[in-house]
Amino acid sequence: MSLFARNALIALGITIVLAGTLVLTVNYLNRSRLNQLSAIEDQLSIDTLSLDTQFSLLEAAPCDSAASSTTLTGELSDLGDRLSYEEGQLGATNPQVVRLKEQYSLLEIRDYLITKQLAAACGIKPVTVLYFYSNANNSCANCDQAGYALSYLRDTYPTLRVYSFDYNLDLGALQTLIAMSKIAPKFPAFVINGKTSYGFTSLGDLESRFPKGALATTTATSTKR
Amino acid sequence: MNLEVIAYPFIFLALYFESFLLVTFFSSPARAKRAQAPAAVLPALAPKVAILVPCWNEESTVAGTVESLLALDYPADRLSIVLVNDGSTDGTAAAIDRYTEHPQITALHKPNGGKFTAMNYGLEHAGDAEFIGFLDADSFVAPDALREIIPAFDAPDVAAVTASMSIHKPKTIFQRMQYAEYAQAITLRHVFASINGLYVTPGPFSFYRRSVLNELGPFKHAYLAEDMEMAMRIQRAGYKIGNALRARVYTKGPPTMRKLIKQRIRWTTGFMRNLFFDYRDLIWSRQNTVLGFFVLPLGIIAIGGSVIVFSLYLFQTAQSLIHSVSVMRAAPLSYALSLRPISWFYFPVTIPLLVGTAMIVLTASWMAVGKRASNTPGRLLPNLPLYFVFYGFVAPIWIIRSVSHVARGARTTWR
Repeated sequence: MSLFARNALIALGITIVLAGTLVLTVNYLNRSRLNQLSAIEDQLSIDTLSLDTQFSLLEAAPCDSAASSTTLTGELSDLGDRLSYEEGQLGATNPQVVRLKEQYSLLEIRDYLITKQLAAACGIKPVTVLYFYSNANNSCANCDQAGYALSYLRDTYPTLRVYSFDYNLDLGALQTLIAMSKIAPKFPAFVINGKTSYGFTSLGDLESRFPKGALATTTATSTKR
Repeated sequence: MNLEVIAYPFIFLALYFESFLLVTFFSSPARAKRAQAPAAVLPALAPKVAILVPCWNEESTVAGTVESLLALDYPADRLSIVLVNDGSTDGTAAAIDRYTEHPQITALHKPNGGKFTAMNYGLEHAGDAEFIGFLDADSFVAPDALREIIPAFDAPDVAAVTASMSIHKPKTIFQRMQYAEYAQAITLRHVFASINGLYVTPGPFSFYRRSVLNELGPFKHAYLAEDMEMAMRIQRAGYKIGNALRARVYTKGPPTMRKLIKQRIRWTTGFMRNLFFDYRDLIWSRQNTVLGFFVLPLGIIAIGGSVIVFSLYLFQTAQSLIHSVSVMRAAPLSYALSLRPISWFYFPVTIPLLVGTAMIVLTASWMAVGKRASNTPGRLLPNLPLYFVFYGFVAPIWIIRSVSHVARGARTTWR
């Protein structure tokens, strides 16, 4: 065998090993990111369950736990950002991404319900936004803008509770929420303090759909009875 | 479909090229060349050498070129220098006429006819020299360069020997970028010469065995790439092209982007036209498998790949930029500019990013190896970033324009 042929074969072997290593490395990093998400989600799940249980135990005086719920919402939004990034990296149809999104949606619904219960029990008036988007082809031209505007509002007004859902996610609880809230498949869809609206044109337009005084930079938006 | 997938075959081939380079660099022929003693002792009777300097409007540099040739460490009675003024319109004629009295120098003047005519004219006046060298009139040689070149003709079938080129006193951004590029080219030339894979014998200080030039005939216009054409002719005839790693020659690189692109369009179109129109048989040649099955096909793929990958990159960048701007308009600009905590979670580890990083490290290593092995003076480190920042943007421009030139049959000019 000539030197060239020998070197060409060795180089091919090295290239295949290198390419394989690269693919494995990228997959490993993506997997470890998903595992990281999974771990955060597990922790949040425990926190939510704990809050839920705490709420049941202290039904007589549940309002003391209101503060911890706010912290949980912050963590939820961080998890949502990470999940959305990973969805962009691995694709919306990746089975693990879909599973994590389902868990995340459940957590959100649970947090939303607790928030509503706390509000009713303690007389607080939180501003909640249910945001429905769609990843289906060309079904929502403005969802990226709407998501970004909501991120801005959430970062600017810390008491604002934003829950975002993939409308097409095949999850019983989510579909029930959609049915109960009577959300039509028009995107983006918002339920702001129970009032449904559709479409996104500008930040100003979105802000105008919030109750007067709901968007305040201070955290003192809740009052106890 | 993820458009990035289109780049994967080219990424694989780029990895393959680098792997091949690495394996061949450590193979015995290349190792033996590097182990050779510097400035090897010449035979008792050094062979007769003639160095031809074709000049066209080089009044500012030709004197430096000639002085560097006169300073060569080689027996004066065995070395002659032929200066050919190819109808210059500046003071080149007077500049070379200053040397008419010098016993080693012949100064010739002819009407302008192009570089290859000046080379052939000089060849007619090269006397009985056994080896013929060429040096562009904007280049300078190290004193021991010729003593490195001659021993590289170490077998009767070595028809030509190339030197290690670098950029002379790089000043502008583009010259400094070329300094790094040339350092890498030194390694590439060294490695591919060790397996007879060279397809160009550059104007600055390439040498030819006179008997082979006589056999193969004079230089041709060759789409303004006479050095590539002659090298391809040598390869087609079954001869070898060697490399003298420590034979240093310094050339003036184009100082501006416009001039650099012009030069590279000439080189790239010359490569494509010579190969596609006159030397197609070299591709898949069983006589020279290195050229036929590796260097030339990969060269063509590299040109096509650059066009595709660069277009893809531009398209994706523009698309994502437009999308980002449209999304960011949904909130005040201050929000987009505000600093948020950085998390490694969002670091996009992708195959192109990993390969790109590996390529940068490898390329920088080849540059360092080329500079060190050839003892090229100058500082590489400050010029490296310029190469990595600018080359990826400038090279696709000349490649795309070259492809367009060849496809349209456009005329390529020298300057």
